[in-house]
Amino acid sequence: MTSFSPLSLNHFQAFLLFAAVISLAFGYLGRRRPNDRIRYILWSFFLFLVVGIGLAWVMYPFSR
Amino acid sequence: MIEDAIQPQPTEPSLEPTAAVPPPAPDPAEPTVQRELRCWILALAGWLIPGLGHALQKMWGRAFIIFAAVGTLVYTGASMRGNVFSSNGGDAFDTLGYIADMGTGCFYILARMLERTGADVSHSQGDYGTRFLATAGVLNILAALHAYEAARGRKA
Repeated sequence: MTSFSPLSLNHFQAFLLFAAVISLAFGYLGRRRPNDRIRYILWSFFLFLVVGIGLAWVMYPFSR
Repeated sequence: MIEDAIQPQPTEPSLEPTAAVPPPAPDPAEPTVQRELRCWILALAGWLIPGLGHALQKMWGRAFIIFAAVGTLVYTGASMRGNVFSSNGGDAFDTLGYIADMGTGCFYILARMLERTGADVSHSQGDYGTRFLATAGVLNILAALHAYEAARGRKA
């Protein structure tokens, strides 16, 4: 069996993928009605982005 | 004859229970021990093969999403050469990582088989991959617990 070809994602791409997959799973597990699910998925994804980027900016002064 | 014509036709069963249809209540005739055993078996199935616990309860949408989400996270994590922890870890963090990775069930074996070149956490890619793998395991444990609760009729 051949090994994986290494996947090259930068930090932001990995962050987006992570947020999308987890939001989708949370939406399906946490809500039953399709409309509620879509709203929950979008809201969760939005919060992932806001909190992630916010924390990045908070940590930025200490990165050097 | 007319009554036959206007009788409502049985509708197709939906893939997911909707809000109008309450979740399947536990059968009161089923012995408690047997019901509990069935719930644990469903949870175990959901842990071993992500989504199977929901699939056996005919929650097809959830089953597919869990399988796809855990599979995507494991594939991405292993492709980024994340650390797939083994049982002979040196410290508590390795043990915690092992427990999290084991949460992916059969995908743990798959990740170990596919990541032939080993982990590379000297770069940020590998570090992200380690987090992806651990998250996949924790997410699958959460889904297995959800399958258990759904089988008990507490969640749907």
